[in-house]
Amino acid sequence: MQVKSEIAGSVWKIIAEAGADLAVDDVIVILESMKMEIPIVAPQAGTLKQLHIAEGDMIEEGQIIATLE
Amino acid sequence: MSWDSEIDEIKKRRKLAKQQGGKEAVATHHKKGRLTIRERVDMLLDKNSFDEIGEGAGVPEYDDKGQLKDFQPANFILGFGEINGRKVIVGGEDFTVRGGSPNPAGLRKSVYTEKLAVQYKLPLIRLHEGGGGSVGGTNKEKNRRPLGEPVFSQSRFVPLAETLSAVPVASAALGPVAGLPAARLVASHFTIMTQNAAVLIAGPQVVKRALGHDMTKEELGGPQVHLASGAIDNLAKDEEDAMAQIRRFLSYLPDNAWAYPEKIACTDKADRCEDSLATIVPTNRRQPFQMRKIIEAVVDKDQDGSSFFEMSRKYGPSLITGLARLDGESVGVIGNDCMYYAGAMTAAAAQKLRRFADFCNSFHLPIVSFVDEPGFMIGPDSEQAGTIRHGTAAISAVLQSRVPWASIQVLKAFGVAAQAHFGPDGYVLSWPSAASGALPVEGGVAVAFAREIAAAEDPQARQKELEDMLAASQSPFPRAEGLSVHEIIDPRETRPKLISWLRLAIAAMQSQSPGPYLTGMRP
Repeated sequence: MQVKSEIAGSVWKIIAEAGADLAVDDVIVILESMKMEIPIVAPQAGTLKQLHIAEGDMIEEGQIIATLE
Repeated sequence: MSWDSEIDEIKKRRKLAKQQGGKEAVATHHKKGRLTIRERVDMLLDKNSFDEIGEGAGVPEYDDKGQLKDFQPANFILGFGEINGRKVIVGGEDFTVRGGSPNPAGLRKSVYTEKLAVQYKLPLIRLHEGGGGSVGGTNKEKNRRPLGEPVFSQSRFVPLAETLSAVPVASAALGPVAGLPAARLVASHFTIMTQNAAVLIAGPQVVKRALGHDMTKEELGGPQVHLASGAIDNLAKDEEDAMAQIRRFLSYLPDNAWAYPEKIACTDKADRCEDSLATIVPTNRRQPFQMRKIIEAVVDKDQDGSSFFEMSRKYGPSLITGLARLDGESVGVIGNDCMYYAGAMTAAAAQKLRRFADFCNSFHLPIVSFVDEPGFMIGPDSEQAGTIRHGTAAISAVLQSRVPWASIQVLKAFGVAAQAHFGPDGYVLSWPSAASGALPVEGGVAVAFAREIAAAEDPQARQKELEDMLAASQSPFPRAEGLSVHEIIDPRETRPKLISWLRLAIAAMQSQSPGPYLTGMRP
């Protein structure tokens, strides 16, 4: 499944790398949006197959952040 | 001489009406995983409480001797019923007859629904699945009546509009809902849809011909579209969940605008103080927190865990709106969700707030506001959405409120948008984490002191110094000293403080007789 960002912002920090096994609500990346650090979390448990962003990237609302398997 | 044959005729017609669109149509409907309208009504209401209106309405077919040969029932079911022993009115299209597209009797029954609700001052529930009129029209009898409605007849949209000020209205989309049924669906205080429902102004074929978009009805008007558009408030797991959410929504409300909501027995202690509240707001202002956890820690706990019933979560998500019980009383709850744009007020959040404030005023629900408002959302998208007008309309709605307001300033209250979280003559409590002013420190200092910072020997150090100085001036303590807030409190005291206030506020409100809430022009 694809994990999308519901907000616009920039990628502040990547927390989970590709290949990581994630539980539900585990943080994948932290965005900086409106001067706050907003975590993007795994909506369900799975393996992080791919990250589609890099630190510093500007993110639009609805953009795909990661693919979970 | 007796009336036996006529009485038998009644029985025969009732039996035919219960067949709905016939065995095949019902089976096809079930195969799609959907219930018939009669099954839905039974699922919604208390057992055996449905008291139908117009069961005999429909399109008859007579033989040469004038005997009834066949009968197509009206494709709209209507009647009184009970939910937890309280009277309601329920109606909905029968999709098994003409796909819910109105036949003449069905149209009449559907139009009568809202009129009945206003006449008897009872909550209205509509269970929708069906289309609007077709190009061919509904008037296909051999002896054609004059076309259209008489010029002197009242528009069917008059009672539709009147219901919202008079009685609570909850509607569900339980399959494809288009045209007129879609309009009635959204003329509600609470709307819900199932995963396989779609809400459309016009279906895929019409859209393709007019605009060239090749889309399915789910892509056009499925839950992912309308939960975000705000046309639909909540998603239901299935039809049973839809009925459960409607019953729960109505449980917080009075029967009509001429009554106050009923207080229920409360098993949760009024003096309960949750320790988690003392640490839930991070001291680092860059880190977010979960406003829903604060709301749930404060309002009554009940057999479902929390009495908080959230509505419209996906629409304008920087603002949380819902119903809850506090000390057994019904209240409306709002709160900023800093996980979305720091909780800033977007155009959608503003419209959500205005509608919610009007709803609470319509049914005399005191409003409890948990404040963490950084201001209106900024940037090109926000300007293009007309946020400033929608936001100002929300502020007007809040400040025209006639219900009691309590605001708990949890963290931020900045800019013009902060006004939308404090009602007239409201009770204001401040947490130690509260910070107020014209602009948040983080954005404001760099702009307001740009020259001074640039001219400093160490610009970064000067900016930090200015930010710290301003942060201190935004502290809640000087505000408490100046009676700008009623009280600065230990966050753990929030529930007992609110309950003490609510008891006084409700007694004062209920010393006057309630009535409909009508407002004037807004920005």
